[in-house]
Amino acid sequence: MKGYWALSGRAVREVLRVPEQLFPTVFIPLFFLVVNVGQAAKIFPSGATPFLKGQNYAAFQVPSALLLAASFGGAAQFLVEDIIGGYFDKLRATPVSRSAIVLGRLSAEALKSLGIATLIVLVALPFGISVASGVLGFLLLIILAAGWAVVYSGFMQLIALKTRSAAATQSGSLVFFPLLFLTPNFVPRNMLTTPMRVAASYNPVTYIMEGLRSLILEHLAWAKIGRGFAVIAIAGVLMVFLNVRAIRRYD
Amino acid sequence: MPMSLTVEAQQLVKRFTGRDGTVEAVRGVDLSVAEGEVFGFLGPNGAGKSTTVRMLTTLTRITSGSARVAGADVTADPDAARRGIGVALQEAGLDARQTGRELLVLQARMFGLSAAEGATRAEELLELVDLVDAADRRIQGYSGGMKRRLDLASALVHRPQVLFLDEPTTGLDPASRLTVWDEVRRINVEGTTVFLTTQYLEEADQLCSRLAIIDGGLIVREGTPGALKVDLRKRKSLDYEPSLDEVFLDATGRTRVRVAGQVQGVTE
Repeated sequence: MKGYWALSGRAVREVLRVPEQLFPTVFIPLFFLVVNVGQAAKIFPSGATPFLKGQNYAAFQVPSALLLAASFGGAAQFLVEDIIGGYFDKLRATPVSRSAIVLGRLSAEALKSLGIATLIVLVALPFGISVASGVLGFLLLIILAAGWAVVYSGFMQLIALKTRSAAATQSGSLVFFPLLFLTPNFVPRNMLTTPMRVAASYNPVTYIMEGLRSLILEHLAWAKIGRGFAVIAIAGVLMVFLNVRAIRRYD
Repeated sequence: MPMSLTVEAQQLVKRFTGRDGTVEAVRGVDLSVAEGEVFGFLGPNGAGKSTTVRMLTTLTRITSGSARVAGADVTADPDAARRGIGVALQEAGLDARQTGRELLVLQARMFGLSAAEGATRAEELLELVDLVDAADRRIQGYSGGMKRRLDLASALVHRPQVLFLDEPTTGLDPASRLTVWDEVRRINVEGTTVFLTTQYLEEADQLCSRLAIIDGGLIVREGTPGALKVDLRKRKSLDYEPSLDEVFLDATGRTRVRVAGQVQGVTE
């Protein structure tokens, strides 16, 4: 555990010492939120759109912004720098557990994402958005978003470990866009065309998005929240396992 | 009484398989390094030096053969081997965003020391490598020599039995090189076995009690610098004491004859 805490602390220091990295993580999701709402809000007026449950269309779009903000994989960018710079070998030559190497970075990513998700929700509040599930719902909302950040960073760390390339790792963040657009991003799942609905139903991100959305629009819909957390738990365990295995097999 | 060995390798082989086929970087290396030695591991570029060191330090998996370092089998019990070794690789692998002190404390904690123990050990090592004044500055501002000294210090945090130094003076100016040599000697006098790879034969001559030369993935010479020179002198019937450079060139089949026109002159 000493190794885990020390590596987590180092990863948090790393994030704080590169504040420039946080700017796109906050700005780009807010930009997409504004643009998406600007383009579609008139189609879905608050009073005449049942799926908005009395809120405006921005409330429906906030989960996409939260997921996008959690999909930059900052931890993987730092990891690939360690690999290229040789520090990763230095760590591998110590007896620290391989899972501490993985979890140290991912814990810092979770903490960073909790802060960013909180910031995005706070920025959205003055624009008429409220979290219908209350304080508990707000906490679950940011934890769920941070959980996705851990999963996606785990995925990008795998790319870093396999390719050892900054360019390949960076391009891993783009994989999120097809995943995002194969979700009920603009309308609920039951309003999608059949092919899109089928694709969305097979896309795990759909269940995280629906969980996040339910926390904003509804009062603690546990089935939807539970599905979101289940996806995070399964994908998180899988990513940590694959990362640890990749480090053990690293040559 | 038999010598106590801190590094033993038997028939070490490493094959890398890639898109262009399989490359056998190390083709059956046997090594024995006794406790307290400064062992030099020499070879031209691409001879297999770094790959061998990476296998001995658990960083690269062994294709076949076996190795024991600091009493532990590197394949069967890599963590036990890691606890007994310190590693400073070819490129000083440092996290440039941390300060020198933070890096040493972190390294100490990787070996199970508490934060307080790590801080104490970091202070000792910073004094040892003369980096106390720069301890709280970020590493990105350090010179090449300072980075090498910090890397050396980080390899010593847990007082290893064996210290692996992979080309520790490459790229350093002469003054920094002499400082590193002094550190290596001091570390060895304090009881640490040193396994040193280098391309600088003068360095090997100055520091190593025994050495091996690897070429094409195989050990082609092994012995004390003096014995290797005597051997060459006898074999070639030389009427002078050959240098380690000549031993190296003889062992690796390289030549120092310059082809006319290969070296260009510089005129103002």
